[in-house]
Amino acid sequence: MSLADLFRQLSILIGLPAVLLACAGAAMIVVARDWRLGLFGYALVSLMLALLLSQLIPTDWALMQAITGGLIAVILFLSARQLRWTPNTGQRWELRWPNLASLTSFRLLALVLAAVSFAVVRGRIAIPGLDPLFRDALLWLLMMSLLGLCLHSEPLHAGLSLLVFVGAVELLLFTLFQRRMLVGLWMGGQVVLGLAIAYLVVARGLAELAPDDSTPEGLNPDGRFFGGQP
Amino acid sequence: MIAGPVLVLAVLLVAAAAAYLLRRLEALSALLAAGVSALLAVGLWRLPLNRPAIIAGRPVLLGKPVVIDDLSLVITPASRALVVFLLITAAVTFILAWRTYQGRTFYPFGLGLVALWSCVALLQPLLLAPFAVVLAAILSVFLIQAGRPGETRGAWRQLLFPTLSVPLFVIASWYIEQAPLNPDDTTPYRIASWLLIAGFILLLQPAPLHVAIPAVAGQAPPVVAAFLWIGGQAVILFLLQRFLVTYPWLSAAVDSARWLLWLGIFTAVIGGLLTAAQKRLGRMLGYAAVYDYGILIVALGLRGTAGLPTAVWLLLTRTLALLTLATGAAIIRHHMEGDRYEHLTGAISRLPLAVIALIAGGFGLAGMPLTAQFASHWTLLQLVAEDDPRWALLLLLGALGVLVGTVRAGQACFGDLSTSPVARESRSVTVLAALLVVVGVLLGLFPQLLTNPVAAVILPLATLGQ
Repeated sequence: MSLADLFRQLSILIGLPAVLLACAGAAMIVVARDWRLGLFGYALVSLMLALLLSQLIPTDWALMQAITGGLIAVILFLSARQLRWTPNTGQRWELRWPNLASLTSFRLLALVLAAVSFAVVRGRIAIPGLDPLFRDALLWLLMMSLLGLCLHSEPLHAGLSLLVFVGAVELLLFTLFQRRMLVGLWMGGQVVLGLAIAYLVVARGLAELAPDDSTPEGLNPDGRFFGGQP
Repeated sequence: MIAGPVLVLAVLLVAAAAAYLLRRLEALSALLAAGVSALLAVGLWRLPLNRPAIIAGRPVLLGKPVVIDDLSLVITPASRALVVFLLITAAVTFILAWRTYQGRTFYPFGLGLVALWSCVALLQPLLLAPFAVVLAAILSVFLIQAGRPGETRGAWRQLLFPTLSVPLFVIASWYIEQAPLNPDDTTPYRIASWLLIAGFILLLQPAPLHVAIPAVAGQAPPVVAAFLWIGGQAVILFLLQRFLVTYPWLSAAVDSARWLLWLGIFTAVIGGLLTAAQKRLGRMLGYAAVYDYGILIVALGLRGTAGLPTAVWLLLTRTLALLTLATGAAIIRHHMEGDRYEHLTGAISRLPLAVIALIAGGFGLAGMPLTAQFASHWTLLQLVAEDDPRWALLLLLGALGVLVGTVRAGQACFGDLSTSPVARESRSVTVLAALLVVVGVLLGLFPQLLTNPVAAVILPLATLGQ
């Protein structure tokens, strides 16, 4: 069974279930404190976006979104994992990574307010050529990504929010244009963006490690690889 | 026949790969990067665009486009002017970076950045050029962070706004494609105009979206930060000019000149006032750059025939002023314990030329007499005052802020050394800092020296829409 066949097996999800799962994944990135939940949310959004995109562009091209999202999720997972972050290290919570810009309850409240706003505005917004279901998915994902960008200051969650923004825009872009070059540029750009975010995750995470935590193996905090001290 | 864009991009990328491999031999890497940039700049400027030339036994046609599917890269007279400017700036910056300890991977990444900025200038269709801007922003993340663990705010902010802007350009391109289908309906043009304006506000990042500039200044090595501002902002403003010329309805839909004037003045005032309030050298540099950026936007927003020449003039002189200020700041930062003003006490006794470069660069950005920026600032103030004298007063207020900030930073460098022994600046650094200051003063005394370079850039820019 080829990857495309496997992808087609999931076609039962296309439509409302995929939209709901994608929306839940995006909300998870905004609210969840744990980085693993955030990454899971991003992987879910990517997979569901790929399923939805298969309605707009050829399946092979849509599959690229799943591959791209999976690749980015793996890169970010490895980056976060390298830092050996565990939730119960005995450190004060301020020293733990990731540092959060806001509290979970506050983010939940913001999410509820966003949901209310979404319910109010969704009927008033018409986007050319876009199916109402896809429009709702696009609006929700954009709202969640912008909310995530506002609420998170550390690179992992903020980066995931930015990636969700870029992914969500595909729903509109590929409705308007079905060009191979654009699909390739967009997906390639996402991978490069994911790499930059992973780099920032590592850079930020290294600083958050307590001094007695030695540098993780394979990392080079004095910056010999990318510049650093002369 | 080798096409010009292939030659330029291939040489830059091969040189970047070589500079990366040689990064442990920093001198060699820097000289290679600077040499290749300078050679490419000279070659690009002197070779004809529309006639083949022989380079290393191979025929090269600079003006020949490279077409890949829907995309094409072509060197036009206007884009050539920008690429040559970027290459010369890169060559000078690489030498400065080598002597001011900016990190050894600046050279390969800097060359890569110039290649991407060149793509912005050469890329067709125009609406896809912001893709290259985003790729350049992504690459600059590595330059800003420079391998240091810790604060990532500067790198993140550098990345954020360009990424958010790209969809707006792509969606605008769809509306532009739809417009000719129903020529009587102006709605697509109107929507496209607003999308493009929103996209450009995110790309230009005027105040209050200027947050990336001071954050980068606080985090990145100063000379690297100056390079990012000089190159990045020149590329964005060039792109804006290309859009305004290519899509005349954009100017008709919104009064772009008026918007640019307001945004520029607001940016300059905010930048100037905040420069005066800073307590760190890096952030002082950043806010002074914000002020200067505002001035450049104002010049681009000026109506009439004088606006563009003034903008080009300012672009050239600000490059010198920013590099002078950044060189001074980089040397002081490297030798002293930190960049807070209280840590700079006594720097004048060990690093006199660096402090002079810092003050000269700051005065230059404020447009003081005897600096390269004086004549161009004065001209701009006169042009703005013709429109409304209050705008000129606001710009002067911003300049006063930069002046106060520079004086405060300079003053902090005086007094007795209170910290551990500080090494003297090396002779090569002294020479470079002195050279920048002397060139600045010379251009301040004889601004006509820049007449020919400005004219050489203005002429190709007139063909921008062709």
